[in-house]
Amino acid sequence: MAKALAVHLNGEVSRFGFARLDRHKLYGRKERQVVDQEGKRCSSAYLSSDGAALVPAGGLAMLYVDEAFATIERSALRAVDDEGADLQLLPSTLDIDQELSGPVAAQQVLDHAIHTVYQLLEETLGANLSSALSAGEIFSAPFIFRDDYQAQTLFLVRNDSGTFALVGTPRGFAFVHREAPTMSAAEDADELADDLDFTMM
Amino acid sequence: MARFISLTDSQQRDAQVALESSKPQAKHHQSGPQGEEVHLERLIKTTESTSFEALLRAHGKPEALSALLVAGDPEIDVEQVGRRLRNATRVHLRQDGSVLYAARVMQVVYGPDDVEKSRADFSDTPANVGEDAPALPWTGRLMALDEVVRRFVCARAFRIRHVNGLTFDFLFGIAKTLHEAGKLLYVGAGAKGQSPLIFTLNGTPFRGFLEGRVEGDSYLLVLHCSNLELKTVIP
Repeated sequence: MAKALAVHLNGEVSRFGFARLDRHKLYGRKERQVVDQEGKRCSSAYLSSDGAALVPAGGLAMLYVDEAFATIERSALRAVDDEGADLQLLPSTLDIDQELSGPVAAQQVLDHAIHTVYQLLEETLGANLSSALSAGEIFSAPFIFRDDYQAQTLFLVRNDSGTFALVGTPRGFAFVHREAPTMSAAEDADELADDLDFTMM
Repeated sequence: MARFISLTDSQQRDAQVALESSKPQAKHHQSGPQGEEVHLERLIKTTESTSFEALLRAHGKPEALSALLVAGDPEIDVEQVGRRLRNATRVHLRQDGSVLYAARVMQVVYGPDDVEKSRADFSDTPANVGEDAPALPWTGRLMALDEVVRRFVCARAFRIRHVNGLTFDFLFGIAKTLHEAGKLLYVGAGAKGQSPLIFTLNGTPFRGFLEGRVEGDSYLLVLHCSNLELKTVIP
């Protein structure tokens, strides 16, 4: 059975099935294709700098190596922060009830870069959440699709078309100030106060 | 390198200012079992001459290839496998595996049902936002935050900032206007602002929404960009 997005608000549990929403599904897509003289589609490949190897799509492997070029198995890798401290792997939030926060301001959604959008299909929907969403309120919850070291934020939004989950991370834009000069012009010594020197011209 | 954008304010004055992307959030790093530094390396796994298609072309039918695979390792190019691939050149291959020297680039349009709608020679779409592009007009079309959040998915955003004292006043004024209105300004390219924003050559077209906030003597102007509406897909 497919996993569901599970949330609770004031003790009421709601569960949603979900499907990713993207441009292709809504509007179709444009694709750039390279064809030969006969109009047959060609595939892309890499030619090594010495011309000895022609590598087709799927012909590359991405491996972690250390400074001695020894391969490190992915299972042996450790996730660390900037200080080198080990990070804890966070479990997926799918199928696990997450407490909803909110209602949150629309501004909070705008402050996040939305990476993924899911169209939600209601399996169980609490009456409180349903009426709040219909009234235009927005709720948020932590979201981790699969086990990861970092949680994202999920926003529940409803419009005339349906109910959606917007998943994103904070943009982190800060207010900008005018960079004031270190000393005001008035405080500077007036270099023109002396007689004007025409000999240097 | 800073990118620039030319904007027009509500008084029809235009100025060129800087455009900044959001800094990616600090992510985790990978290290080795003893805490040693590791990095990702791109290595050759297979080459065109040992790909399934090439082996099939050389040996005729899958049964013949199966026998060869049992007897040896024809799929491994021992001279190349495991080499680093650096400074490689992108090429295109015909269906027979030969390198294409005269490429014809087509633009193929598919509908939401994945059925091909049209096919034509590809032509470049120039950017209409940037240093050399005309100033984006003040459309005057203000939209409520709630409406934008509920109708569009803003996947990208740019912070707009001043480049000198004069443009500080210019942008502060725009931010203040939008802050006081409590709304976002719809932003588009073209004389009337009806065309989508294209930031790079052949780049993705976006609809723009300008958000302005002021706090004391500082401001925040963010150009939110969307290329997706919040609409249900009917399966």
